[in-house]
Amino acid sequence: MIKARFFLWLLFVPLIHLGGQTLTVSSFALPNGLRVILAPSNNVQAASVCVYHMHGARLEPPDARGISYLFQYLMFDGNENLEPFDHVLFINKMGGIVSGRVDYDNAVFYDLLPAQEINQALWLESERLKSLRLNDANIDYQKNQIITRISRLLESNPAFRAQTWVNAQVFEGSAYETPLYGDLSRLRSLGNDRIRDYYQNFQNLGNVLLIISGKFDINELRSGINKFFQDIPPGRRAPNPAFSAQNPRRFHVAKNWLLPGLKKHFIVYGIKAPAKIGYNFMYFDFLRTYLTDPRLSRLDHILNTVNKLDVEIESGFTDYMEANCLTVQVSSPKRFSLEKAKYIIEKEFQALASIPISNNDLRAVRSLMEIDFLKGMVSLEERCQRIGEFYHMFGELNFFDVHLRRLRRITPYDIIESAKKYLGKENQVILNVYGD
Amino acid sequence: MFMAIRKLPLHRAGCLMGGLLLLLASGRVFAAEPRLFSFATSKGLAVKILQDNDLPFIHAQLLIYLDGSTQNYASLAITQLAVMNMFDRSLNSPPSSSLMSLLQRQGGDFLVEQNPEFVKISMNLLPDRLGSFSRLLKEIFTYQSFHLNRFNLSKEKFWPLYMKGRDWKKEIALMLAYQQLIGNFYFSRGFLLQEIINGINMAQVRSFMLKTFQPDNALLVLKGKVNPYFVLGMIEKDLPSPDAQPARPRRIPPQINAARKIFILNVNGSEMPMVYWFDVAPPAADAALLPYAIGNFSLFGFPGGRIYHSERNRFLMEGYKVDTDTIHLRDFTLFCNYLRINYGDLENFLLLVEQERKKFAARPIERKEYLDALNHYIGQAQVRTSRFSQDLQAEIDRFHGQGTKAAASRPGPELFQEVNFNRVLQAMDEQMGIRPRTGTRERGIVVLVGNADQILNSLKFLKTEALELPMD
Repeated sequence: MIKARFFLWLLFVPLIHLGGQTLTVSSFALPNGLRVILAPSNNVQAASVCVYHMHGARLEPPDARGISYLFQYLMFDGNENLEPFDHVLFINKMGGIVSGRVDYDNAVFYDLLPAQEINQALWLESERLKSLRLNDANIDYQKNQIITRISRLLESNPAFRAQTWVNAQVFEGSAYETPLYGDLSRLRSLGNDRIRDYYQNFQNLGNVLLIISGKFDINELRSGINKFFQDIPPGRRAPNPAFSAQNPRRFHVAKNWLLPGLKKHFIVYGIKAPAKIGYNFMYFDFLRTYLTDPRLSRLDHILNTVNKLDVEIESGFTDYMEANCLTVQVSSPKRFSLEKAKYIIEKEFQALASIPISNNDLRAVRSLMEIDFLKGMVSLEERCQRIGEFYHMFGELNFFDVHLRRLRRITPYDIIESAKKYLGKENQVILNVYGD
Repeated sequence: MFMAIRKLPLHRAGCLMGGLLLLLASGRVFAAEPRLFSFATSKGLAVKILQDNDLPFIHAQLLIYLDGSTQNYASLAITQLAVMNMFDRSLNSPPSSSLMSLLQRQGGDFLVEQNPEFVKISMNLLPDRLGSFSRLLKEIFTYQSFHLNRFNLSKEKFWPLYMKGRDWKKEIALMLAYQQLIGNFYFSRGFLLQEIINGINMAQVRSFMLKTFQPDNALLVLKGKVNPYFVLGMIEKDLPSPDAQPARPRRIPPQINAARKIFILNVNGSEMPMVYWFDVAPPAADAALLPYAIGNFSLFGFPGGRIYHSERNRFLMEGYKVDTDTIHLRDFTLFCNYLRINYGDLENFLLLVEQERKKFAARPIERKEYLDALNHYIGQAQVRTSRFSQDLQAEIDRFHGQGTKAAASRPGPELFQEVNFNRVLQAMDEQMGIRPRTGTRERGIVVLVGNADQILNSLKFLKTEALELPMD
């Protein structure tokens, strides 16, 4: 009898486990130091291969800012065995998607493709790590492209110029102060040998994660990884400086710009937000979603519906690991509307720091954040990126359940505390940009 | 069976129960593969549920059908105003109807898209909010909460509201293409002028709602970890009966006229102009679609398409990439190929595409191009299984093909083997008009969106062909 019960119990255990939503993530390391992270999903016929560099622009030497941003383009510019854009051609032919970006804290390059073609992506990514083409011609070409594009943007787009200034003020004194593309005149004069040398840091296997999510056969995948990655020379595990969360600002900054010919006046708010590694990040993210997410946008409601100011609102968020910046741009052809908007926004920030938000709003924002988080985990390439970021920040792999639990427990008082700390006047940078 | 178990020795009974449980467990494991359930409710709503136990939230799409083939500017304005009044967030802030309150309580993650044939409401919700989903459907199908002030505001601020947070240029280009294809529009004065919008009253919108927003004129597709029978029961309970109306007239597929037309939609702004190039193909449920898709990929597909092939073409296309959207309508499919381009390169691009289309007659699609395109589409179909919103499209297409000859030949992986190389050549001729004929015009609708003066200044050869349409 006892045996039968035990047998039945053994059979029930997997049923209970399967009913859960836990995402299984595992990892192993190759002898050359490359860490491989696997997050399987068997309900899809696709897979994502992601190379996550735990090395971003914030680690660049101050006199060589912009090198990492240059790699964002050079990564698609061919290597020993592939011509420029061959990588894109291969993946596109298979119906897949290629993308990548370099940021201050990390750099991520990924391929999303049919599951049975996963070895192709492994080969393409290993080629990129082994023998990126860094000759003078293509470095000069990409440098010129970046300089032309950014210069044109700075000349023609006052909003881009304004946001660059606001970001620099918000992150004053930190690595995030300089734009990702660095100083254009320095980038122009930067020697190509220096760029080639620096690539050794960037592709150092000790700082690279190979993250694979989607459908795959574990044995085939392991042999593919061994085949393509094991002969890459071992990386020197450079001890990256640990992340440390920055404090909010202490002094309010306000500045006016006068730009003749501007059709619409605008104000840019820069609010220094908590670090992604910090405990407060989720609470501020709640505030950001509540105030600026177009699906809820409290700011749009109070400015345009309640006060009928007829202003346009745009917002952006940096998503960095040591500190962040929420930018809110309010524009209108009427200067009076902007001045009134400033007053109303200030009052709204004060109210958020003193009055608990309603239960309906709390539930709506929490649901939206949860849906967005789950959507991110369903998307294979985004899942890779989030797993990589979490491992990079905390050295852990399984964060899915913990994150959801924390999200569901946010209370109005957490929001008040966060608003008190981050929405205060002293933590804001305000740039008023007026036309004639 | 239980009697039999009672007579068995204990360890054997245990083994049998264990076996049964193992079967159940394996069923649970197999359930990882999404399963499709199709229903029609007693109120006439067609429901398709893709049970996917690995999707941690529920994704729903509700399609409400419009009669695209009889559309004119007034009916277009009525539809737009109705949808705007129901779903626009800034018009409904704070939630002024129970529909908006329910949507907000779900998290507000919804999107309303519109094409000439249907309004599509997509939403994501957490599994524990499923209980209120049927009430949400009821609110949509019985919506009459139009307020005069809000309605007047929506007319007054129609374009700013329409443009907010959406790719309105593409939507308008699609509408123009559709209107040219079905041929019951007169393009003389402009696109959906303010005076047409001002002329719409609330009674017309209410009447449109009663006629169109009915369960028997809609399709609900749902994906997620749900019990399909539970969902069906809920919908049955809450859904209203359709209002007594004369039987819907049988739809007559429109006559398609895909002859070349170039529209310039005049839009002020400092941005670079957009080019939209539309080509017509059979509907998605028809096996004949694939040869057309192969032709389109061989011409526009990045970076292997013919417009990027030769040295000269590569020089002309330097820094540009054409993207392609496939828009599935009930009676046909539209390939929307688009790119943002400098004014100075506009005509060169149009002539390049035209030239490369004509070259297919002299140098037909090669075996390699054909196989490349096939591989691309097979792979793309697989990659789309990882996009929760895209893999419902196949079910929607299947529903649209129901009752037609096309429905019998449902595209699937096996179809890819059947696409005949000669059929591709024939399809390309039909789609692009590549063989020279007498008395027939070239194919494809082109919509250029930007500053009309600058566009006209940049055109030399095509200037006389282009028709300028202002927008208020």
